[in-house]
Amino acid sequence: MNRINPIHILIFLFVLFLFFMLGLKNVKTELTEAKVAYRETLELALQLKGLNEIYSDKQSVIQSIDRILKQSSLQSSHIEKKITSSSIVLHSQSLGKIALNSLMGKFLNGAYNISELKIQKLSDEKASLTMEIKW
Amino acid sequence: MFSKFNKQLASVFIDPSSQPLTIEENVNVIVSPSLYWVKKLDLPVKNVREAKTLLPSLFEDILPEGSYSYSVYKDGEYFFIFAYEDKKILEVCASKGIHAAQIEGVYFAQSELAHLTSTHKINDTQSIYVKDDIVLLVPCMWLEDDSMLDVNDLSLSKHNVKLKQFGHIVDDKSFNTLVVIFSVLILLLGVEYFITQSKLQSTLELRDEIFEKNGLKSTMMQNRSMLKSYTTLHDKQTKIREYIGYFLSLKLRNGEKISSIRYKSNKFNVDISGIKNGAEKIIVESLKNKKMIFKPTFKNDTLSMEISL
Repeated sequence: MNRINPIHILIFLFVLFLFFMLGLKNVKTELTEAKVAYRETLELALQLKGLNEIYSDKQSVIQSIDRILKQSSLQSSHIEKKITSSSIVLHSQSLGKIALNSLMGKFLNGAYNISELKIQKLSDEKASLTMEIKW
Repeated sequence: MFSKFNKQLASVFIDPSSQPLTIEENVNVIVSPSLYWVKKLDLPVKNVREAKTLLPSLFEDILPEGSYSYSVYKDGEYFFIFAYEDKKILEVCASKGIHAAQIEGVYFAQSELAHLTSTHKINDTQSIYVKDDIVLLVPCMWLEDDSMLDVNDLSLSKHNVKLKQFGHIVDDKSFNTLVVIFSVLILLLGVEYFITQSKLQSTLELRDEIFEKNGLKSTMMQNRSMLKSYTTLHDKQTKIREYIGYFLSLKLRNGEKISSIRYKSNKFNVDISGIKNGAEKIIVESLKNKKMIFKPTFKNDTLSMEISL
């Protein structure tokens, strides 16, 4: 016949209620922070992935440059190509005006990490070119 | 466990004026008429359940102020209705040496002693006797029979009541309402807690997937640093293209020509040759209008400009 004091039951329920309320508040704060971190990570990952593909992917840079050099306007220009572990160097002692325009148009409109560039006018029709692209 | 139920428990008669007892085991308590109010009524209801709803109103005018519980049972055509104070009965029991935990069942003298045909003393001053089916407590001097009441061999009825130890603190209805409200709130909070927890878990897992899928470094600091260096590189490359664009779109006079464009180690140099004395200022102004910051030098009809990126 010994029963638990109802006040104790009510206090216990109130404490349980407070416990869940505080727990819920904490877990909601954590969720908000986790969502912010998720969005930040996603944005950062997309930017990094994009920039990495543009500037640091050796194979795609070489393939892209090869495609440019194979163009009919540049095939006869005999542009020398030298590939190192971290870069590719293009060199031409004497490049025609049209070929130079075509080449620079492609490189300046594309995303390449040009680390060195030297265009020297030789005459009204000719110029020498040295360009290093890194990855 | 079964032995506990099979065991025949002792019964004790409790009255405020009875002598204190020495109790070690659980007992059934038979409550004296002085501890309850009773009415024998012929009610226009069919059963005990219907009668229970009427009980407070049936005692409304006669009870002194207090916190009462009610009970009812039917005997033949009549309903015996009771009003009693749980706290008062428990206090009397406690004063007689019976702790609440030792009380197995509580019975009214009315239900257990109504069969008595003669009077019985319960102490030196009071006796019990039955009149018109109601068990009464009267002074001994009114009656002549001197035999003492013995409840030990009594076969108890089923009409026992459960005392509410804390009925005076909070009534059942309010207590149940509060318990229901708190339980519902706790349940809702609990459900939301676990849903939020699982959302949190899946968000963290998704973030880990991003790291794995995109081959990110293990810490955000490293990744931010990488992004910063890529962004700096991208900004520089964009500027190189912008500057070349500015120079190629420059309106030069007859005989003026770009003789050299060089870029190395963050230095961008452009030489324009064939410039007549004084004409270089026009070119410099034109470029400054495009908000370019550069260092111009003019020597032998050649304007050299150096831009730091």
